[in-house]
Amino acid sequence: MTPAATAVLLAAQAQTHTHVQVQAQAPAQGFLSPTGVEIAFLLVGVVTFGAAVVTVTTRQLVHAALWLVVALGGLAVEYLLLTAEFIAWVQVLIYVGSVVVLLLFGLMLTKAPIGRSPDADSGNRRAALAVAVASAAALVWVVVDAFRTTWIDLDGAVAGAEGARGSTQVTGEALFRNWVLPFEALSVLLLAALVGAIVLSRRTSPGSDRPTPASDRRPPSQEGAR
Amino acid sequence: MTMSRRSVPGSGLAKGLAVTLRTMTRKTVTEQYPESQPHLPPRTRGVIGLFEENCTVCMLCARECPDWCIYIDSHKETVPPAAPGGRERSRNVLDRFAIDFSLCMYCGICIEVCPFDALFWSPEFEYAETDIRDLTHERDKLREWMWTVPAPPALDAGAEEPKEVAAARKTADKLAARQQTTAAEPPARATTPTGTVPHADEQARAAERPTRPMGDSRQQTDQPRQEGRE
Amino acid sequence: MNDALDVALRLLVVFVAFLALPLIVGQTEHKVMAHMQGRLGPMHAGGFHGWAQLVADGVKFAQKEDVVPAGADRRIFQLAPAVALLPYLLVLLAIPVGPGEGAVGQAVDAGVFFVLAVMGVGVLGSLMAGWASANKFSLLGGLRTAAQLLAYELPMLLAAASVAMAAGTVSLPGIVDAFQWWWLPWQIVGALVFFVAGLAELQRPPFDMPVADSEIIFGAYTEYTGLRFALFLLAEYAGIVVLCGLTTVLFLGGWHGPWGADGLGWVWTLLKTAVLAFVVIWLRVTYPRLREDQLQKFSWTLLVPLALAQIALTGVVKVVIQ
Repeated sequence: MTPAATAVLLAAQAQTHTHVQVQAQAPAQGFLSPTGVEIAFLLVGVVTFGAAVVTVTTRQLVHAALWLVVALGGLAVEYLLLTAEFIAWVQVLIYVGSVVVLLLFGLMLTKAPIGRSPDADSGNRRAALAVAVASAAALVWVVVDAFRTTWIDLDGAVAGAEGARGSTQVTGEALFRNWVLPFEALSVLLLAALVGAIVLSRRTSPGSDRPTPASDRRPPSQEGAR
Repeated sequence: MTMSRRSVPGSGLAKGLAVTLRTMTRKTVTEQYPESQPHLPPRTRGVIGLFEENCTVCMLCARECPDWCIYIDSHKETVPPAAPGGRERSRNVLDRFAIDFSLCMYCGICIEVCPFDALFWSPEFEYAETDIRDLTHERDKLREWMWTVPAPPALDAGAEEPKEVAAARKTADKLAARQQTTAAEPPARATTPTGTVPHADEQARAAERPTRPMGDSRQQTDQPRQEGRE
Repeated sequence: MNDALDVALRLLVVFVAFLALPLIVGQTEHKVMAHMQGRLGPMHAGGFHGWAQLVADGVKFAQKEDVVPAGADRRIFQLAPAVALLPYLLVLLAIPVGPGEGAVGQAVDAGVFFVLAVMGVGVLGSLMAGWASANKFSLLGGLRTAAQLLAYELPMLLAAASVAMAAGTVSLPGIVDAFQWWWLPWQIVGALVFFVAGLAELQRPPFDMPVADSEIIFGAYTEYTGLRFALFLLAEYAGIVVLCGLTTVLFLGGWHGPWGADGLGWVWTLLKTAVLAFVVIWLRVTYPRLREDQLQKFSWTLLVPLALAQIALTGVVKVVIQ
């Protein structure tokens, strides 16, 4: 998947998230007496959405990756505001700490210039927009349909009690009591991906029967000589 | 990587750690220079001193200098004949002797080539300047350095006397003998003004002084001086 | 009102610690490194054994011109030091130094994850600097930083996961509360893996390939001058403090000590952290730099398997105990 496509998808997710929240909270309490958390949530949502849009529209490739950091970080803040602390930190750890680093690593290997890339526009604008809107609509519809009347109790977390809805304990219990099977299925999928990656990277040219890198054959005295 | 030589995996790493830790507990070798003087070897090439009286303006040093950092000016003077009716002699008189230490690379060739022992190494090194032009040491400054030149190392016991000393002693003995003889019957030559017999007078002077100003040097041993110079 | 005062006070204490501890570590590094090499180190600044050397350095950095290269990506170039430094401040906020509510800046429920996640963000600063400098050495440094981060994040996480499994919680005070002395031999492999991987993530020697000054000048920080450069350096030393503090809290039992546990717990924490910081310096002085391929090999073929073995061991022991 190209970075651009990933960005589009993530932007769609960000959009989704914003929409879900509006849908989930608005009817219960109304817009006229919003709490501080709700206001913060909306503001962060707007920032996240804006960052996501900039991610897919900017013509500076590395800027796109960095705006993606903002979008993903914004999502993490949204999780935090919903008291899902564990999910928030995992979001930062995996996406900001690893995925974006990998993205930047890939970008640095390319000839991405500082400044605008003239060919950053792939010409698939309409298709991408259609995909984004469609996936956003699908996600919004699914989530709204699933959690129509669910109310997230934010106050439990403010008091610092163990029973906060998004705390690590609650998340862990839900994951390993109710959703063990999907979790294990995902593990197997990831394992398969891992094995596949190893197989792909170990493929050697048919001519050479010794795939060891040159460094292994050096005399030991040179190891770490620097 | 032979297995026999590797005793325990990681023992080399531990050894490295031990080395650094041991070094930390030892006394450091740092010399805190401005506060304490460094321990220099006595023959350190610090600066070059000029013993002007030995210089005959032969220009060998200036010519051999790879950096061309020695400047010598001189003029010739005619000296009246030593004996009446003799030939006039000409003599080189030093006007300027300067070493530009901003160019000098301290190779010591000038000192090596000087046939009359007019140049010497001194271990002094604290002559940094804020203006590069001040690094050109003129004659008077070069003479000042001369007083910091350490005495030469002592000769082996039973070694032959240095030629200069032997020659000087011979002249001194002669002079003493002559004075003894003239003490009995004062000759005419003793009353002759010195200006008319410069050669003999010079010889006498040369006999009285050593070839290098050992008496004035504050650096009598091969030990480097620890106190700052005046 | 009282709450606000309390929060302000905590933030102030953490901030002061954030400014002071890295300087202390830096000064210790000056002196320890010098003596390990048979030198004296700084002796003049401040009068007594050069104690104010880093203060003087700071003043010097502040006076220097802040240069942004003409071809650089200005805003990202200028933003990078902040991105590199601030995460460590946040992490310091979550490290407990003593038992109870009073001895931690802000108790975080998923502390281990918070700490590791935010530390990972700090590396983004180096990447931004490396890319935005418009300099090939910076770019190489950035590439190496990224490769190193990808290689060493995994063993670090796995080692931290092992101790979280042992304690049955991911909160940092919770882990220290659950600590028993026999965890030390039990988790020793995990501790070593965590510490080494942390060193690599901080790009400390012998894992300083990304800033290898003899080949790529100063890696991602080549183009930086003045205060921004100082911020990167500060980030490195803050990273040492954070890594040592984390290792103390996760593996060495934090405020638990053989004696004097009540009231003096924070002394134990600081003492252990200081010893670890000394070890960091010691390792720097002792070992030569690992080559890039050795770095990757070290992580993937040694640290990751060791961390996995530690997790397996933790799991087995945990089940047996129960």
